[in-house]
Amino acid sequence: MTVTREAIAVPDSTGPTISLLRELRRGRGRQRAASAAYWAYLIGLAVALYGGSEIAAAFHALRQPPAATALTVRVSHAAPAGLAALALVVLLVLLRDGLWRGPVTLPQVTVDWVLGTPVDRGRLLRPRFRASAAVAVLAGAAVGIVPAAALVGLGLLGGHGSGSVLRLILVAMLSTALLFGFGTGVAAFVERSATAARWVRRLTPFACALAAVLGGLAVWAAVGKPPSVLSAIAVWSGPWGWTVPGMTALAGGSARLWPAAVALTGAAAVAFLVLGFFAAAGVPGAALRVRARTIGAMSAAVLSMDTRGVALAYGGRASGRRARLRLRPPRRRELVLLWRDLLALARAPSRLAGAAALALIAVGLVAVAGPGGHAALVPVASALGLGYLAAAWLCEGARLDAEDTRRSENLPFRFERLAWWHAGVPCLVLLVVAGVPAVAASVVTGSARFVVLLAVTVPVLVAGALVNVFRPRHHPDLFGGVETPVGNTAAISVLLWFVWGPLLAVVPTTALLISALGPSRPGVLARTVVVAIGLAVGLCTYAAVRARRLRSA
Amino acid sequence: MPPSDPPPLLSLTGVSRSYGERVALRPLDLALAAGRCIAVMGANGSGKSTLLRIAAGRDAPSTGHVIYAGRVMSQDDLVVRTEIAVVGDMVSAYPDLTVREHLELVAVAHGAGRDRDELVDRALAECRLDDHGSALPGSLSSGQLQALHLATMLVRPRRLMVLDEPEQRLDPARRRWLGELLHAEKQAGAAVLMATHHVELAAAAADHVLVLSEGAVAGQGAPGTALAALAALG
Repeated sequence: MTVTREAIAVPDSTGPTISLLRELRRGRGRQRAASAAYWAYLIGLAVALYGGSEIAAAFHALRQPPAATALTVRVSHAAPAGLAALALVVLLVLLRDGLWRGPVTLPQVTVDWVLGTPVDRGRLLRPRFRASAAVAVLAGAAVGIVPAAALVGLGLLGGHGSGSVLRLILVAMLSTALLFGFGTGVAAFVERSATAARWVRRLTPFACALAAVLGGLAVWAAVGKPPSVLSAIAVWSGPWGWTVPGMTALAGGSARLWPAAVALTGAAAVAFLVLGFFAAAGVPGAALRVRARTIGAMSAAVLSMDTRGVALAYGGRASGRRARLRLRPPRRRELVLLWRDLLALARAPSRLAGAAALALIAVGLVAVAGPGGHAALVPVASALGLGYLAAAWLCEGARLDAEDTRRSENLPFRFERLAWWHAGVPCLVLLVVAGVPAVAASVVTGSARFVVLLAVTVPVLVAGALVNVFRPRHHPDLFGGVETPVGNTAAISVLLWFVWGPLLAVVPTTALLISALGPSRPGVLARTVVVAIGLAVGLCTYAAVRARRLRSA
Repeated sequence: MPPSDPPPLLSLTGVSRSYGERVALRPLDLALAAGRCIAVMGANGSGKSTLLRIAAGRDAPSTGHVIYAGRVMSQDDLVVRTEIAVVGDMVSAYPDLTVREHLELVAVAHGAGRDRDELVDRALAECRLDDHGSALPGSLSSGQLQALHLATMLVRPRRLMVLDEPEQRLDPARRRWLGELLHAEKQAGAAVLMATHHVELAAAAADHVLVLSEGAVAGQGAPGTALAALAALG
């Protein structure tokens, strides 16, 4: 078997290759099984320890379902369209999963060492599809418990026995398992065929719109009385709706044809699982290579708790784009970082649009918060949370420097000073976007309070975002924590690693804003301004300190 | 190619490749016969790897067609997987398999039977990995890993070899060895299509050099002529 000028007969090597690979990797397989069993044990133990009493209480409640309340009737009216909307969203997620990952994937090493050989792709890929389908169906069955438990908990089976509850749960589990199976089968087609993938991309906005319409119909049914035909259309509009009549009928609603709906879902699921099984063998090698690379990058990012790395791995699939928008570089060196940050946003316009939308919603929430006090707590805290997210999205330039500190080595600035410079563009964008409605509100009310509060809140949120941007690299010790009389601190330290910036920015600003939005008292606004400026400067200084530590680590 | 050359084993006609709006490869023609070697040269991003992926059946051209052994090549073609040895886009290795086991896997996947051990021993010796047969990939240097990837093509049948920068991470002695190996493969009848940045390797192994610049052919011909064109490109 060497070099030849003649045609080479395709060998029948699939069986021996798979056997050899299995034999060589037997030890690793055992190791992985042991590791999976250990994790299952740990998770089971944690659930039993921390949620045991809640689970027992839930089971008890399901045996004796809670009685109906005033809300129950509204829930029963809203359930058909609401559940159909949820099922549609789940189905969309499953189908879109087929665009970048899908049920048929191979590990990178198998792609590199086996995919290029004459081994029969069907025998390599179909078991992968079978395993994914089995996992999806089991996950679907588990997910089905949630809507069933919610319907019971909201009183729809009040007065019924545990038999009714059990029947509802079983039908819900069956329906969602079949929906997941159907979605997995179709996702295999999406993986195999570029045309199917194109259709999924094209139809996604329409599916989202349909889900929104179904959600709107559910709200309408809860508060009003839409024609019953609309509800019927919602549940018979497609496979997403067919999962619903079984649940609503067994939860006391009227859906006489529910067995037909379950049968339809079952037929669709079985048909597409069988077709997906055969389609799996034809997934192109190029698609498998790209997917293996993406999954590898994403797994590495997940293991190192790098949420940005996960997003980059997901977004990295779309390549081949050219940068359209160009900005002339400034002549003054002081402006070069502002120019660089504006470019970063120009190259990621979705961030800019998303941040603008969040900022506008945040302004709206502050406007409805009313005159401060306890009632304003939730809207103000939510507004500041959204405002923080908007600021974090706009800190793209800072994030690019933080994720690889070598990138800024050619700039004439010390690394810790970058934190200050990177605050400029996010502050500017947020002030412009949120400033328009704030100025309008000030003109209408005749008070400049909104504008002043916005002007001092934005820098605090941006500084908080920069504190998070320049957080230290994730370290394995983080998971170790410290043993204390009330337990290990690992969960808290991991949580703080993620939310330290927003915590430092949002919590004190919430208190400040609630007090400043209250009845006008002399000195309150001035005090708020002074404290907020101090907070912004303090947080930005802290971000600079973190940046210096990050650089020297 | 001169008219006296044998009929091509691989021919690309009007082949181009675009990714969205980005044109990676502009329409080009290429013909490669058994026992011949074409070296593709050019700066980073000039389209060498794209051309090689298409020639190896791992990517489809946006325009044009690829004929291999007298028939239109399709992606994932079984004959292509059987006859074309590709080195270049292997980036990983099984962390739990030794060097020898990796080679055994490839040999068996290509139908090796009783001659498996002999093939693997010979490839290990040829690539100077005989002391590392029982080593795990994690313990190898990057040059040794590259040698492992080169060894994989020696344990399988091959009519056409597609090599993307096979010299990378090899020390000067191993680069010389690679030139000799490719020359020997050519003499034995294999067709070789190779992308390289190494002028000496191209001069040692290639009969024809194709110079790419920004996805288009900037020059081609016998190694001496084409390498002068490459030098002119800077």
